[in-house]
Amino acid sequence: MRALCWHDKLDVRVETVPEPKLLNPRDAIVRVTSTAICGSDLHLYGGFVPGMVKGDILGHEFMGEVVEVGTAVKNLRPGDRVVVPFPIACGNCFFCKREMFSLCENSNPNAYMAEKMWGYSPCGIYGYSHLLGGYAGGQAEYVRVPYADVGPLKVPEELSDDHALFLSDILPTGYMAAENCAIEAGDTIAVWGCGPVGLFAIASAFLLGAERVIAIDRFPERLRLAGSKLGAETIDYTEANVLEALKELTGGRGPDGCIDAVGMEAHAYHNFAYAYDRVKQAMMSETDRPVALREAVMACRSGGTISVAGVYGGWIDKFPAGAIMNRSLTLKSGQTHVQRYMRPLLERILKGDIDPSFVITHRMHLDQAPTAYRMFRDKQDECIKVVLTP
Amino acid sequence: MPQSPNLMRSDRIGYVAGGIALIAWALRRPNLPRALAAGFGAWLVYQAYTGSNPVFKPLGIRVNREPPTPEIAETLVVEEAITISRARSEVFSYFAQPEHLPGLADAELDITRSHADEELAWRGHREGKLAHFGSLTFREAPGGRGTIVAAHLEYAPTGGSLGAALARVTGRSPQRLVADALRRARAMLESGEAPTTSGQPTGRR
Repeated sequence: MRALCWHDKLDVRVETVPEPKLLNPRDAIVRVTSTAICGSDLHLYGGFVPGMVKGDILGHEFMGEVVEVGTAVKNLRPGDRVVVPFPIACGNCFFCKREMFSLCENSNPNAYMAEKMWGYSPCGIYGYSHLLGGYAGGQAEYVRVPYADVGPLKVPEELSDDHALFLSDILPTGYMAAENCAIEAGDTIAVWGCGPVGLFAIASAFLLGAERVIAIDRFPERLRLAGSKLGAETIDYTEANVLEALKELTGGRGPDGCIDAVGMEAHAYHNFAYAYDRVKQAMMSETDRPVALREAVMACRSGGTISVAGVYGGWIDKFPAGAIMNRSLTLKSGQTHVQRYMRPLLERILKGDIDPSFVITHRMHLDQAPTAYRMFRDKQDECIKVVLTP
Repeated sequence: MPQSPNLMRSDRIGYVAGGIALIAWALRRPNLPRALAAGFGAWLVYQAYTGSNPVFKPLGIRVNREPPTPEIAETLVVEEAITISRARSEVFSYFAQPEHLPGLADAELDITRSHADEELAWRGHREGKLAHFGSLTFREAPGGRGTIVAAHLEYAPTGGSLGAALARVTGRSPQRLVADALRRARAMLESGEAPTTSGQPTGRR
């Protein structure tokens, strides 16, 4: 089959590889009909995530048709159309029972690697480094899905791939980012980063009752979507001083909740700290560039919540711990517990509360994936979200 | 900063020999790199003198200088624990099968003690010689959260504690074997299978 393989920093290739086989009783094999490139795939593409090995198949946002099931899978049969959540979770352990699926204790065969890096191991994730299990991903014609009896969600026939695909990651991720802000009536939420996750966080914040949402980015097409499509107020950080602008927009108090939908490769403009982080990251004395996260902490109203949806991998410097302590701030984060949100969000899509397909800007064949990665990374052609079809 | 002795006897001999060799080598033709080597040699001799190496603690290396076995003079100690969301009797029966015990590779295991739902102990022989011994204790996790399994294992290291340090850095340590066996047990008991990727496609050639 054809699959997108990681070779090196900025080097991904579509290659012919063997088709996946059932390896465990609870596995299924899915023929991929749609798969997307995630902003977090760009961290792998840019070489910022440790534990990648030449030849790894990427992709954790995908859906398709079940073609084969293991002996223990009773709820699915060949021909079923499913969307697959990106966290690989057993459904039986301490965390799964508490609906914290991305913390599943049983799904990462390389837990020892993650323990070295992070103290304990979270769940395995498709195509997201050997630290998170080294599972082959779904930017391929076929993919093996472990724990298929609890993970994949059957998609009703009337729903198109475009409407269902983002249940695999970014729609629940944006939703959980907003939910983590514990929004109350009258709240103002600020969102750093208007990529697909940021845009879904904006939409979700409104769904959850936010009075106002303020969106921060530098790309006009993204700010346009946040503003005209979703009704957020916008700040272009290349033009304005974000902290001052937020202070002014919120009557001198700051946003009640601040969402970091940027992560480890943040950019900044005319910012000394940004240069500092770039140098430290290049020298490998700091793994992540936390420009957006620092700003979110400083901007948040006292007693408010900072919700981190952007991906971080390692260590950061100059973290404003003093602001967190002295101003009673709450920091919430996590890989999304996608399985918890898929069904309720599917209901919302069917009811018409949200149409997630608005983020799609490009559709390409899987064979063009290397071009798509470059275009997405460099934000060429106003690229926001690429859907690939094998 | 003095701490309680943690070097093995064989280590101390090696440290003195190695330290003196480095100092002697430096004195034959003194220059800056060799001076640094001499400094390192002096540090080794000092460790042999105090009997303790400060790097062992961060590396998780624990020496038992008086193990309860006449066959092995000194052992390295591994301790790991895991919580499994299953009843104590179910967890005990799983480990009561010798192939599920977290023993070390290539050793033949004999169960030496078995108290139902409480404790299992075993000895591992390699070519007729005792290579390691270990035990598992089982207790209820608080709040009905299942069973806590605590593993204690001691083994005669090849290559002294230096070998153990190297094994730890390269990831092939007994510590890792024990932890992996416990994790595998949890996955089998809770989810009915052990996670794996071996046999999946890749673009590696």
